[in-house]
Amino acid sequence: MSLLEVSGLTVGVEHSPHALLRDVDFTVEAGQIMGLVGESGSGKTMSALAIMDLLPAGIERRAGTVRLDGRDLVAQDRETVDRNANDMTMIFQHPRSALNPTMRVGRQIGRALEINQDMGRAAARSRATEMLNHVGIPGADRVARAYPHQLSGGMCQRVMIAMALACRPRVLIADEPTTALDVTIQAQIFDLINDLVEETGCGVLFITHDLGAIAEMCDRVTVLYGGQVMETGDVRQVFTDSRHPYTQFLFDAVVREADPSVEEKDVNFALQGCRFGHRCPYAFDACAEFPLLREVDTGHLTSCFLHQKENALGSA
Amino acid sequence: MSTTDPARHGDASGDRGRAARSGRSFEAPEIGGETVRPPLWRRKPLLIVGFMILTIFILLAVFGPLFVTDPRVIDTTNTYRPPSSDFWFGTDKFGRDVFARAVHAARLDISIGIVVAIAAMVVGSTIGVISGYFGGWVDEGLMRITDVVLAFPGFVLALVLVAAIGNSIPNVVVAVTVAYIPYFIRLTRAQVLAERELEYVDGAKLAGNGRWRIAFRHVLPNSMGSSVVQAALVAGWAILTVAGLAFLGVGIRPPTSEWGVMVAEGAPDIMTGQWWTALFAGGMIVLAAMAFQFIGDDLGTEEV
Amino acid sequence: MALLEVRDLHKSFGHGRTLTPAVRGVDLEVDRGETLGLVGESGCGKTTLGRVVVGLQEPSSGAIYFDGELLDGKMSRPEYRRRVQMVFQHPAQSLNRRMRVDTTLAEPLRLLKVAPRDEVAGRIDEVMRLVGMGPDYLKRRPGQLSGGQQQRIAIARALMPGPDLVVLDEPTSSLDQSVRGRIIALLRSIQEEQDVAYVFISHDLSTVRRIADRVAVMYLGRIVEIAPTEQVFKDPQHPYTKALLSAVPSMDLDNRGSRIILAGETPSPSDVPVGCSFQDRCPLVHERCGLEEPRLVSLGDGRKVECFAVTDPN
Repeated sequence: MSLLEVSGLTVGVEHSPHALLRDVDFTVEAGQIMGLVGESGSGKTMSALAIMDLLPAGIERRAGTVRLDGRDLVAQDRETVDRNANDMTMIFQHPRSALNPTMRVGRQIGRALEINQDMGRAAARSRATEMLNHVGIPGADRVARAYPHQLSGGMCQRVMIAMALACRPRVLIADEPTTALDVTIQAQIFDLINDLVEETGCGVLFITHDLGAIAEMCDRVTVLYGGQVMETGDVRQVFTDSRHPYTQFLFDAVVREADPSVEEKDVNFALQGCRFGHRCPYAFDACAEFPLLREVDTGHLTSCFLHQKENALGSA
Repeated sequence: MSTTDPARHGDASGDRGRAARSGRSFEAPEIGGETVRPPLWRRKPLLIVGFMILTIFILLAVFGPLFVTDPRVIDTTNTYRPPSSDFWFGTDKFGRDVFARAVHAARLDISIGIVVAIAAMVVGSTIGVISGYFGGWVDEGLMRITDVVLAFPGFVLALVLVAAIGNSIPNVVVAVTVAYIPYFIRLTRAQVLAERELEYVDGAKLAGNGRWRIAFRHVLPNSMGSSVVQAALVAGWAILTVAGLAFLGVGIRPPTSEWGVMVAEGAPDIMTGQWWTALFAGGMIVLAAMAFQFIGDDLGTEEV
Repeated sequence: MALLEVRDLHKSFGHGRTLTPAVRGVDLEVDRGETLGLVGESGCGKTTLGRVVVGLQEPSSGAIYFDGELLDGKMSRPEYRRRVQMVFQHPAQSLNRRMRVDTTLAEPLRLLKVAPRDEVAGRIDEVMRLVGMGPDYLKRRPGQLSGGQQQRIAIARALMPGPDLVVLDEPTSSLDQSVRGRIIALLRSIQEEQDVAYVFISHDLSTVRRIADRVAVMYLGRIVEIAPTEQVFKDPQHPYTKALLSAVPSMDLDNRGSRIILAGETPSPSDVPVGCSFQDRCPLVHERCGLEEPRLVSLGDGRKVECFAVTDPN
């Protein structure tokens, strides 16, 4: 059984028939990093928010389950879910705006410990400093007394990670944790996340638009486009043997020489059938239906009729 | 880089402009080219209600006077008639038709509200953009003046001005406009301060725009959003202010058909049971002010 | 003679005790028709340098020569504006959102008096073709364009007066990967056709590699290494360049975890250490670095490095 199992997750805007996420399936294993990659608007952040039950107003979850160790999280009432804050935590793209600007960072971590771990104030304070030390902040005592605006972006992200980890979560959701940071600082944060996974054995859902970051960090990867899971599998499988035309397109974009005369079309998703259908060079009549994920190799799934057709032909 | 550095460095964490400033920056989810969102009447019911009330008032103001009797006609044989099919709103102590007066007053009051709002917006935004874009001592001076003006409630300021310059209708309009100008100065200036940091201002500089052209042709049109909202609110407040001044006897004077005048004239009648002479005019003041308030409030809840 | 020559350029912000240097003594040349990549992390002064070069900011000291002529307070004159333009980082922000595309494009022609009124429409068509956009976009406003299209229009605006040099400040950072590639290819094809020189400012090394002829690496307001692009990427000399390159996540699955991880963060520009500005994080640091400021030293074949350990190993 997987640590975190998302299945059939469908999310849409209220009063609109269209889905922002449709039948999203993936799993996160303990001690592993699952990458969630896609271009802007692909539904990466929406997936994370749906898992955390933090969907913004006006956006509703229509179907699907989120199971942690087999327990369905979203089906439970809020009361129970709140107490499960120890199970899952999230870090954000803009760490400074995710921190409370009017509270010293040490105190913020302390509050999280008091609430989630039933710690006393003094114990929480020393544990907070300990955590700051743990995420590689030099002079943790001094930093604990600082306000977020006095710290650099990289430092704030470390504080966020310290706060997230203070509760010893089973799953850490990292939503573009380094997009706003410089590469040398990004390298430090990646290192930190890797160390923590090794040490605590938690599972990580690592959201990014950077395929390089996926290659560096992740064990497995899920490719999203227009709210549809295009392909999911081991990083090596997806990188060296990508099966979905969209994944191939995405990889090509990194290395290929683009044709500048191609006009920027309004990149929208198809409303019916496969979200990539209207841009896909291999599209055929079956693509008017929504393709569900099918296994093409052990642990390697893709939502494309092309391979399902080939398989059918091959076995016939 | 420290905050004293006005240059934006190539930093992805930098200000993302308007989206970032408006709080949680979820982009409008977009599928298949159409932005999916609920219909207008669901998102902004007050806006619709406000516009409906306002449309009725405007129709009344434009065409109403063509269909009613002369509100100035005194008919001593028909004093204090209660509302009936002949006199919808009854008649007052001089036998004047209250409905006819209210309709003519609608023309005057609604016009004053709109004129004041537009005039205050134009003057205020112009001063605001100069103050905000050019800064320096001009800005300092203008801001201290608006501070002083804003220290008084708009009504009190209008009252003082009317007392000083006299209470003809044009003077009342000027006084009320002046009282509301500072709101637009402040609002536009704040918006301009944010806008002038955006990259298009630098782009305009490189395209050869001079400072004045950038201020008025580029920055000002992009800084008007909240002023338009404010103008809707000010139109409502202006109607209340004008009526209030008239009620106190320092604004527009009788026998002009004006809602405030009518309330002032009719107020004593309520004691003696002739409630209709004041109540209908009062109700119209409330409705008109409310309509503008609704429109302004609902326009303001999202980016305009 | 180089098209652009920058000599000992300094730019500081604030005054008195809050004086913060952003650019601290930069020398560089840009030749006609070439692309100089300017890379570095946030706060290194690369954007400030670009803004000074186009005349959006006054230098604190130093000299800028354009086409052999010393520019001294002449940077906002139409003659200079016509020849040096800039493209900004956020396409949505860099266009006036209330102005239609055709008005935006006509502005530089009219205001900089590049072309008479009757030639404006023709020039607009020509530039729109250059940036690969059809004439049906001319009547739209920026909000009706995608990010990539907006950036194409921003590039078109910069090209309108027919400049010799365009400073591109992170022109692709806020675009998706697939769009990014096309914009880079577009910029290269424009360069071939118009013989325009670029200063391409970016923190994204892989993008710079795809467009630049030479690359300058900046750290804390100084250029620490400048060399032809392939030499910088294949054989970086400065320890900071090495760390920067190795920190970029690569798609190569077989080389995971071989990064050089620098300790600490870039010091604040208002608190630059005496001597080499990189000494606190440098793996090659020795005594001399804390005493003396290193200077750019030529290694031959167009490479220059500012590091005692490289240029003066003894």
